[in-house]
Amino acid sequence: MTMLKTFRGGVHPLHGDHEGKAQTRGEPTRAIEPKTVTLLMGMHLGAPSEPCVKAGDRVKLGQVVGTPVGFLGLPVHASVSGEVLSVGPVQSVSAPNALAVTIKNDFRDEWAELPAPLGSVEDCPADQIVPAIRAAGICGMGGAAFPTHVKLAVKEGQFCDTIILNGAECETHLTCDHRLMLENSDRVVDGLRAAMRALNVPRGVIAIEDNKPDAIEAMRRAAEGRAGVEVAALHTKYPQGGEKQLIQVVTGREVPSGKLPLDVHVIVMNVGTAAAVAEAVIDGKPLISRITTVTGHVDRPSNLRVRVGTPVRELLEACGGISLPEDRVGKVVMGGAMTGFPCPGLEVPVAKANNGIVVYDAKEARETEETPCIRCGRCVDACPMGLNPYLLKHLCDAGDMARAQKECVMDCIVCGSCSYICPAHRHLTQTFKAMKDAIAAEAKKGKG
Amino acid sequence: MKLNLNPAPHVHSRQDTRWLMGNVLIALLPCCVAGVVYFGVPALMLMAVSMASAVLFEALWQKLCGRKLLIADGSAAVTGLILALNLPPRAPWWLAVMGSAFAVVIVKGLFGGLGDNFINPAMAARALLLASWPKFMTAWTAPSGLDAVTSATPLMTPAAWTPLELFLGRIPGCIGETCKLAILAGLAWLLITRTIKWHIPVAMMASLCLFSWIFGKDPVAAALSGGALFGAAFMATDYVTCPVHPAAQMIYAAGAGLVAAVIRSYAGYPEGVTYGILLMNAAAPLLDKCFRRRVYGHGREAAK
Repeated sequence: MTMLKTFRGGVHPLHGDHEGKAQTRGEPTRAIEPKTVTLLMGMHLGAPSEPCVKAGDRVKLGQVVGTPVGFLGLPVHASVSGEVLSVGPVQSVSAPNALAVTIKNDFRDEWAELPAPLGSVEDCPADQIVPAIRAAGICGMGGAAFPTHVKLAVKEGQFCDTIILNGAECETHLTCDHRLMLENSDRVVDGLRAAMRALNVPRGVIAIEDNKPDAIEAMRRAAEGRAGVEVAALHTKYPQGGEKQLIQVVTGREVPSGKLPLDVHVIVMNVGTAAAVAEAVIDGKPLISRITTVTGHVDRPSNLRVRVGTPVRELLEACGGISLPEDRVGKVVMGGAMTGFPCPGLEVPVAKANNGIVVYDAKEARETEETPCIRCGRCVDACPMGLNPYLLKHLCDAGDMARAQKECVMDCIVCGSCSYICPAHRHLTQTFKAMKDAIAAEAKKGKG
Repeated sequence: MKLNLNPAPHVHSRQDTRWLMGNVLIALLPCCVAGVVYFGVPALMLMAVSMASAVLFEALWQKLCGRKLLIADGSAAVTGLILALNLPPRAPWWLAVMGSAFAVVIVKGLFGGLGDNFINPAMAARALLLASWPKFMTAWTAPSGLDAVTSATPLMTPAAWTPLELFLGRIPGCIGETCKLAILAGLAWLLITRTIKWHIPVAMMASLCLFSWIFGKDPVAAALSGGALFGAAFMATDYVTCPVHPAAQMIYAAGAGLVAAVIRSYAGYPEGVTYGILLMNAAAPLLDKCFRRRVYGHGREAAK
């Protein structure tokens, strides 16, 4: 096996500021209890679930309130016990009318009847692991929210020889995976081993950036004596935790354009997802909570264990609230600075894949104005995919879909490195994302 | 509470266009100082006139086109200063004005403004002035403030100066190009601040020395005389007109060095750096197309 030290390209955002992580990386996770939760039916990538409760119903903790739809579908579980207040459209981070079930918490945490746990990782029946993962409603918790049971579905003729756990946490500000690896190392390793057992995979690699030496140490201890499990320390550089970059660095393989990691016999999972898998397999518990980093301009930056569906407002309140006068609040971003989504309001609920809430002041959030491209080539040096962002931008601005595709716009991973580094503040990443969406929509239209 | 919804990334590098241009101006400072020390107040006057007129013409042009005024980005100031440093110390002031106007309006503005010109504005202006007013452009003055005594450049009489004299720049030549020590200090600044990468200056000087040697000349004298080092450090590295991919940059720079060596050895002009760079400027887009980085996941067999 080759072990590259790092990938080509990339940037070091907030490098002088410890990647924005200093405020929260030493903060032990604390749990908060929400007054209400709003469970979006579309928290995962795939068709939204179908609500199976109605307003007025009493639900118990862990009870299914949304049933899966389609191959990519996942169930949604009540993350509190209490009364269903409403079933209907709410504002989500990306849509003004996302279907959701809102539950008023009775603070009793009465558990619903759960499926029998499969037992320890060593003894559980291997063929029941993936169904248990689906039943627990687990999707990728690193941001993309891809349903885990689909990721673990190895088709005829395919095989997987390496599962990589992504603990790189290369995004700025976020420390939730860091804390998880410190506080729950065994669970992370158990989740990895469960996935390895389900697919009979000989090798599992937990990949962590070297700015988290304590997490590397903790995971090494937890992995000791576990056959096939190893820990890899990676160079701290964004986007080290990008799926394709991670595969390249850990295995020396490249995922061919348009293909999936499984085509190079690799599956990549977030460490948080692995911990949720362990809960599902060992305890039979569904995914009802996660760790979310709350930082930026809040009184007490923290790592919170929150119930899925908790509104952003309650997370901020648990951290002493926004520490800015109202007119100086710029934006509230769900996720890190490089790929996070701006939050349209504070009632937006936390979904399964929300790893952080970061408050920016007005100055930090002000819109940068595009100035002429000076062809300095910094975007070319920064692109981890080897693209020509400066040229692509010209093509996209001209609406030239065909040439943009020829210049591999579809290979763009929308990591934000080019926009970050551009001295002319060109809106590169967002332009490429729009172009990718347009091309995908066109392709869909052609098919339909 | 009104929340801003502009998309990711939410942080940006602080190194904007102005920062980059500022670094170039700082890097040119040692050359300016050396020029004034060796050639006196007239050199300083030329720099001031050239810079001021370049900025003024840029402002006028942007105003005329109804565009946003972008002179604060510093690019016109850099063009004006580089042009001045490429003029003989006793060149008349209107030559600097003519050159700046041509550089900023014709070479840059008419092609779409900053970033869209395909050849280096200051280089093109120098070429124009050389072709139009060769008398003024080759009126070399010996340093130490002697009045316009026309003398030969080291390129015509290479044996007349020792390498140390060539290096320290107490020789006739353009204002900014004679003192190699000052140029190297500026180049070091550009490299340390990562304003530019090493590929272009190194490849151009290596190529110039190699081909000068092949053509039967002293490679050290070739490197230290004329505008070779100044061109390699400050003009061939112009972002807008050089290629962006490292491999393409090396070929581009090597080509510029080759053309300069050929002109110096076999053509009518004593100096060929200007034309070497201009010619390769025109080839830059093609080079970028041919020698680009491989895209991840393309053109290589998938893992076994």
